Amino acid sequence: MAAEPTREWSEEQLKSDDLPKKDVIKFIQDNAAHSFLNEHKLLGNIKNVAKTAKKEQLIIAYNELFQSKRFKGTEPVEDVTEKVKAVKIDEKPKEVKTEVVDEGPPKYTKSVLKKGDKTNFPKKGETVSCWYTGTLEDGTVFDTNIPAAARKKKQTKPLSFKVGLGRVIRGWDEALLTMSKGEMARLEIEAEWAYGKKGLPESKIPPNAKLIFEVELVSVD
Amino acid sequence: MALERLSDVVQKCQSLPDDSYSSEDHDTFTAAGRTCIEEGNSAQVLSIVLDEKNQNIVRCLGWNLLPPLIQVLMKKEDKSISQCLAIFNHLLKTCMPKELLIGLLEQLEQDDPDAIAESLHLLLNPLQKVLLSLGSRKASSLGMTLSLVLDQVAKLPIPHSKEQEEDDVFSLCRCCTNLIDFIRPFVQEVRENFQSSKSTDSMAGRQDKEDELQTELLKFCMKTLSHPLLEVQLKDPDTLPQSPLRTFATEILNTLSAIRESLPALVYQPLLRRKPVPGFLEEEVRYPKESLGCLAHLVFVHHLAADTFPTVFSPVFSLRCNMEHICLLLSRTEDFKVQKGLELYEKSLVRVENSSLPADLLEIKTFLMVPQNLVKVMTLCQRHDLRTKGLKVFQMSIDKFDTEAKYHFFQYMLKTSNHSGVEGYIIKNVKNQIDVALQPGNSNTWFEGVHLLPLLRKVLSLPDGPETDLLQYLDRVMESLNLLRYLVIRDKVTENQTGIWTELYKIEDMFLKPLRVGLNMSRAHYERELHSTMETKKKNQAREESVLSVSVDDEKLPNMTAESQIQALHSALHTFDMIESVLVRIEELIEV
Repeated sequence: MAAEPTREWSEEQLKSDDLPKKDVIKFIQDNAAHSFLNEHKLLGNIKNVAKTAKKEQLIIAYNELFQSKRFKGTEPVEDVTEKVKAVKIDEKPKEVKTEVVDEGPPKYTKSVLKKGDKTNFPKKGETVSCWYTGTLEDGTVFDTNIPAAARKKKQTKPLSFKVGLGRVIRGWDEALLTMSKGEMARLEIEAEWAYGKKGLPESKIPPNAKLIFEVELVSVD
Repeated sequence: MALERLSDVVQKCQSLPDDSYSSEDHDTFTAAGRTCIEEGNSAQVLSIVLDEKNQNIVRCLGWNLLPPLIQVLMKKEDKSISQCLAIFNHLLKTCMPKELLIGLLEQLEQDDPDAIAESLHLLLNPLQKVLLSLGSRKASSLGMTLSLVLDQVAKLPIPHSKEQEEDDVFSLCRCCTNLIDFIRPFVQEVRENFQSSKSTDSMAGRQDKEDELQTELLKFCMKTLSHPLLEVQLKDPDTLPQSPLRTFATEILNTLSAIRESLPALVYQPLLRRKPVPGFLEEEVRYPKESLGCLAHLVFVHHLAADTFPTVFSPVFSLRCNMEHICLLLSRTEDFKVQKGLELYEKSLVRVENSSLPADLLEIKTFLMVPQNLVKVMTLCQRHDLRTKGLKVFQMSIDKFDTEAKYHFFQYMLKTSNHSGVEGYIIKNVKNQIDVALQPGNSNTWFEGVHLLPLLRKVLSLPDGPETDLLQYLDRVMESLNLLRYLVIRDKVTENQTGIWTELYKIEDMFLKPLRVGLNMSRAHYERELHSTMETKKKNQAREESVLSVSVDDEKLPNMTAESQIQALHSALHTFDMIESVLVRIEELIEV
């Protein structure tokens, strides 16, 4: 077992803006026990943690680490065996064209309105067809392709496109990959994964608009 | 007398069965009938034509009277108009559709714009009725008609300003409005056939016929998108609330949707692998590229049919697809096409966040070809406003790339643009990017660190060494010097974030020293020229032997006067002074 780690920074240094969060996180990740990291939500990619954790939280965690002395290697054996059991071998994907940068939590939510067949899930590059209605948070409908019952029957088809290729707004791309054939869901997509700061004025979508879609996945090719 | 001959032949034929009219009868009827109408005897012709006993001959030969009738109807002030109209309408009801069609189409072939407009206004409605009576055989005839009509419309001058559109002196707007009314029942028929074919599976034979109709309407829409719509500058609703041309464009888009040609599929067509459509039109013919470009412009710039266009596509995807259209439009020589290309490019870029486009987009051919075309516009286009707009859009396109992409883009443009002004502009952008990278928090490996030096080496160099023509390459040389000056001031020797200080000795050899030599040579040369010109002027030699003379259109341009020559030489020397002043400043800064 290694000797107990020592404090790298003083209180002032910690609070100073010159010390980036990433450095503190790295230190804690390098030296703290797994369970400590878990409790303080400091597990995972440093970039992510940096985004979600405030400096104050990190300072608190840092200090607690030294107080509780829950350093690496102080965990009971059982924990370690549990971890070993759960080890997975990640297959490296053959083609890594663009580096997938994990940007944090998904910027949409999905509530299932009608269950799908739970077997036919679309894969990236497959063609999907959907009926949908899009509304703003205030309820204004800005787009739909559902033939309204009241109007004279117009020749409409469900919208078809290849999913997962960035052809549609990100919220749709991500959400549809989680839906199965026949499923109808309500998606609330934050502006960042929709039309962002610019919006789409000609289509009645203002800047920074959160969009709500009711989507029915009709078919998967 | 014509009237007598007409009466005679008509009477003779009363007793003959249909198909036994002799060619002589045919000729007599035609000649006599036409003459009567031309001479103003249409009242008598009317009574002959309406006579019960003559219906056979009227049905078989009546259509031959169409030419003079239509001439009268187009004149409008003729006294016999109402009778001619009555004859005309009766013939439309009685004669065989195929022959009526020929007769009517013939009369569309006018040359004078006024006559063209009048004939269209007069004949579209009758043509429609005749075509509708052709039943299931109408598709090819409709196609022929639409093609001819559009050829005629193409001869009408297009209104450009709002006032011109309101006045509609050449009636193009009216023709377009008439055209929409004309196609309406055919569009409706196609719509109904789609609906009925959904419910009845086994109509294979009929299906083909209706596909033909759909194809003809598609051809029509595509042709209108090429002309007149590509050339028309639509006015927005604030400028011109009632615009027949904007209505026309909207109706064309609606027609495409109605005949099941989905607008998104058409606009995004370049990137979609369409299934080969069974039919007699190949893909390229079926969807002409310029028409699709016009369509994209209508959708993305004018927002026509915005309420039916799905709002789920990502802005980057729209840009990728539009690049194909933009590339085509910008490669054309006609200013109005270039303008639409620029507008479409601008609108597509605006929707994308700054610094968001990744470098792998530069692997797509159009992302390299469009800037090339844009350079041609910026440097060669006759219209100043288009050159300016081109530059604005060029900068916008740069701003949308992320840092890595900008880096590769600058490299590419420096290598391929072959234009000093463009190179200078790119170098200025490089400087801006370095400036951004040096600001705290913006550090990147492209505009400082590892990759910057190779780029700098390309920039801080003289294209032809000491022999570089400094006047020709002025823009580039000045920007390079400005960049170097910026670097030696901004990047402290002690920090050397950009690596410039360690590189400096190379730059001195490759750039500064040759520039010094070149400057001295050029200055000496021009000073000599100036001296000799001034000497020549003093000696008052009126005729100077010049090596070159320039002729334009058989007229020899006068040689530059001595005054102008002297002015030009002074200007060149002044330029060298300018270059030298920056060079000297840099040398001072380095020495410190």
